[in-house]
Amino acid sequence: MTIRGDLDDIAACHCSQCRRWSGHVWAAVPVPDDRLEVEGAEHVRWFKSSDKAERGFCGTCGSSIFWRAFGRGETDVAVGCIEPPTGLRLQRHIWVGDKGDYYDIADGAPQEDRQ
Amino acid sequence: MSSEGSEISGACLCGAVTFAGRLTSEPVGACHCSQCRRWSGHFWAGAELRDPAIEGEPLRWFRSSEDAERGFCAACGSSLFWRETGSRRTVVSAGAITPPTGLRLEGHIYVADKGDYYDIADGLPQQAQSRRRVAPAAFAAPSG
Repeated sequence: MTIRGDLDDIAACHCSQCRRWSGHVWAAVPVPDDRLEVEGAEHVRWFKSSDKAERGFCGTCGSSIFWRAFGRGETDVAVGCIEPPTGLRLQRHIWVGDKGDYYDIADGAPQEDRQ
Repeated sequence: MSSEGSEISGACLCGAVTFAGRLTSEPVGACHCSQCRRWSGHFWAGAELRDPAIEGEPLRWFRSSEDAERGFCAACGSSLFWRETGSRRTVVSAGAITPPTGLRLEGHIYVADKGDYYDIADGLPQQAQSRRRVAPAAFAAPSG
């Protein structure tokens, strides 16, 4: 994939859906659709994970890559899939009220119970 | 912490793939290797089971290296399993384990390969590489 322009609001999501889907905690950055170009889009499968959103993954290897809310015009892209050096910094933790019981969050980044 | 012999179970996001089994003595670890980071979307955490029962038609295995493969649900895309090819042991995603898990993360591995956009600050032992069974004392499960 290719992303154009600056990126902001890098967040780690601790909701139970992201935790089951990623296997631990999912980190992503929102990208406006007109700045995101996906190559190999034919390999991406979309799973409707709620009334409001869907998740895109690679049907070949299972990588958990995209999340998008319907009608918002932007897609959250997994930071782990972005080619390093990313030049990014994790800025906050979201849905901390729903976090897993087997780890602590200790990096000092702001935490929000919900989004 | 990894309570050897404890039984755990879990499922993918859509519920089509399930697993259950008993923990081995391997520590519950977070892996920061570039493969786990791409696959999970951030970094991956897992617990090792011996001979787990894994069920569900959408399960697919991807050969991610010469000696290992990764299992995921082809219906919802959940990243679920890592195992050495032919091994009876399978590492299952900590995030997919049904809570309360009764587990504690015990350390970080492959931190030499970690992402450049986050810090590891929880004070747990870190290993530059090394996935399994070569753990120095610092990474071993706490005694007592």
